[in-house]
Amino acid sequence: MRLVGAELIEAREILPGQWLQTYHAPALATGSRAGQFVHVRTGDLSGFVLRRPFSINTADAATGTISIHFRTIGRGTEWFTHLRPGDVIDMLGPLGRPFEVDPRSQHLLLIAGGLGMAGVRSLADEAIRDGRQVTLLFGAASARDVYPTALLPDEVEYVIATDDGSVGHHGYVTDLVPAYEAWADQAFACGPEPMLKAVSRLAATRSHRMGVAKLGRKRGGGKAIPAGSPAARRKAFLQVSMEQRMGCAVGACLGCVVMATSGTPQRVCREGPVFASDEIDWEGSWGR
Amino acid sequence: MKAKRRVVTDIGPPMPSRAAVQRRGRTSGQSSAGATRASEPGSRPVPPPAQLDGPIDLTVDLGRGLVLPNPILVASGTFGYGIEYGEVVDIEALGGICCKGTTLRPRVGNPTPRVTETPGGMLNSIGLQNPGVDAVIAKYATTWERWRVPVIVNVAGESVEDYVEVVRRLDGIPGIAGIELNISCPNVGRGGLQFAIDADAAAGVTAAVRRATDLPLLVKLSPNVADVRPIARAIADAGADALTAVNTLSGIAVAGSRSRPLLGNIYGGLSGPAIKPVALRVVYEVSQVVDIPIIAIGGITGLDDVLDFLAVGAVAVQVGTAIFADPTLPVRLVGELEDACRAHGHRSHLGFVGTALPRRAAAPSSKGVEYRP
Repeated sequence: MRLVGAELIEAREILPGQWLQTYHAPALATGSRAGQFVHVRTGDLSGFVLRRPFSINTADAATGTISIHFRTIGRGTEWFTHLRPGDVIDMLGPLGRPFEVDPRSQHLLLIAGGLGMAGVRSLADEAIRDGRQVTLLFGAASARDVYPTALLPDEVEYVIATDDGSVGHHGYVTDLVPAYEAWADQAFACGPEPMLKAVSRLAATRSHRMGVAKLGRKRGGGKAIPAGSPAARRKAFLQVSMEQRMGCAVGACLGCVVMATSGTPQRVCREGPVFASDEIDWEGSWGR
Repeated sequence: MKAKRRVVTDIGPPMPSRAAVQRRGRTSGQSSAGATRASEPGSRPVPPPAQLDGPIDLTVDLGRGLVLPNPILVASGTFGYGIEYGEVVDIEALGGICCKGTTLRPRVGNPTPRVTETPGGMLNSIGLQNPGVDAVIAKYATTWERWRVPVIVNVAGESVEDYVEVVRRLDGIPGIAGIELNISCPNVGRGGLQFAIDADAAAGVTAAVRRATDLPLLVKLSPNVADVRPIARAIADAGADALTAVNTLSGIAVAGSRSRPLLGNIYGGLSGPAIKPVALRVVYEVSQVVDIPIIAIGGITGLDDVLDFLAVGAVAVQVGTAIFADPTLPVRLVGELEDACRAHGHRSHLGFVGTALPRRAAAPSSKGVEYRP
């Protein structure tokens, strides 16, 4: 975690109201992993008192750049769209825990809903660099919100679902998951909470429905893997990247928690944003 | 934009931005703080600036052996347990750390969403999530012991017995420099706000805790009261070593769908630059009726805010919400305050304290009739 000045290199509106901005921040580009995020300061304290968290959409160590992808939903995100190339903003990062890919996993299934693309986008780059196969299931409201194919690596198999059926599958992205479940060694999801909840329900019953044998050590043998550890995420079939309103983003303010099955609230900024899906208490009515 | 701002600062706004003051400082050849003070109507004449070369004494003696190395503290709830920001902030340069509110038993806190931004501030309703006093001691006390910076543990509870038991367990633990009683958390049903809004209850819990410990005892005042002065006086008379003013203001926000309040707990506490005038008013009132040190908190985002609070009688300040945007601000303020002292010819920042108070404080009101919110 460090505070760096990041210079805007390029900004463009890739979709209506959705922006992709590239910043020169070598420390973040080399030191970050897929799933981590940056906490960015907006303007001065007279208007905005909180930073804004953004997933690291792509990180390019060769050019020392990272990109963020966001939708303008308020005055804060609006402020970012007024930045011009050459402007330097204050970024805190990389923050949070990254996705953990099991070294044995060859087939990765990425599931993104809307802006959730920003959460899993860099994992596609990392996986392809490591020689894995990637299928990306993407859901959006309609064709006008579909992430452009040109912005994805060629090697990714890109499958689209739209709510209104204007392109691809007519329905939710979660409808597509069963067709790829058997192919996938691990899955990684980011998107609206109902989507994550539905995917998690599928993942929880996957081994039962598909008759997947539990490989590995016999029961009682070896050490138990502590919940929430990188090893636990590496072993999980489904990892989810969670979103929550955030204050400090370093774990001090306890603003951005999600409830875990253990009964202890977990900080999205510190224990997350990536969790094994079985760590999260999806059914609880605690915070929605 | 720039020109507009300069015009505004020239007529003396309530809260000039730091950048604006620095700009003015350069053009006038004076120190930033000197320019501010001199330009404000109604303030006392400032002694002619005489540059000092010697060391500046920024220490604050809160009594019972607690001497803060400088008057810039970080506020409870914004700095965790001191370790979270450790990679980007030099914590040893701070004047003190107030840790997250600690209760007797672990608390999971309020439902989410817990934070939201508001104009010039933020609402939070964490709900005192913490692992409980025993876990806090086990996890952090040995780390705190190694630090030079004093760690003040913020204590919350639902009953007098809770407060006393927590404080009893903290008493005598190395690494704990003091206690800050949070009798004014607005975010939990029984979070102790009932203590802060009643002079007798506030005095009762203060006295009970006072009997349980010899640690320096700070008590945090709530602004959510009609008249804070009798409460402050009662707390001081009950044996508090210092007062912290103020806690957050109770408020709510509405969700975008307009179908419900936004925060999971409905109510939240407002903090940030938006509440600075309220905090200034409370410090101004309280400092005229008590004889114990006051630590001011509420919307500090720069040196001008620090000097404002010192002028109305505070001896130290806590920085809270501004840390979220600017984690290194408290450490920078220490240096800036030292420079301000030097520029004004003060050997200590205490030279700034109380300059905006009436020359002779009026007799304390027993009726509060002149108070108009």
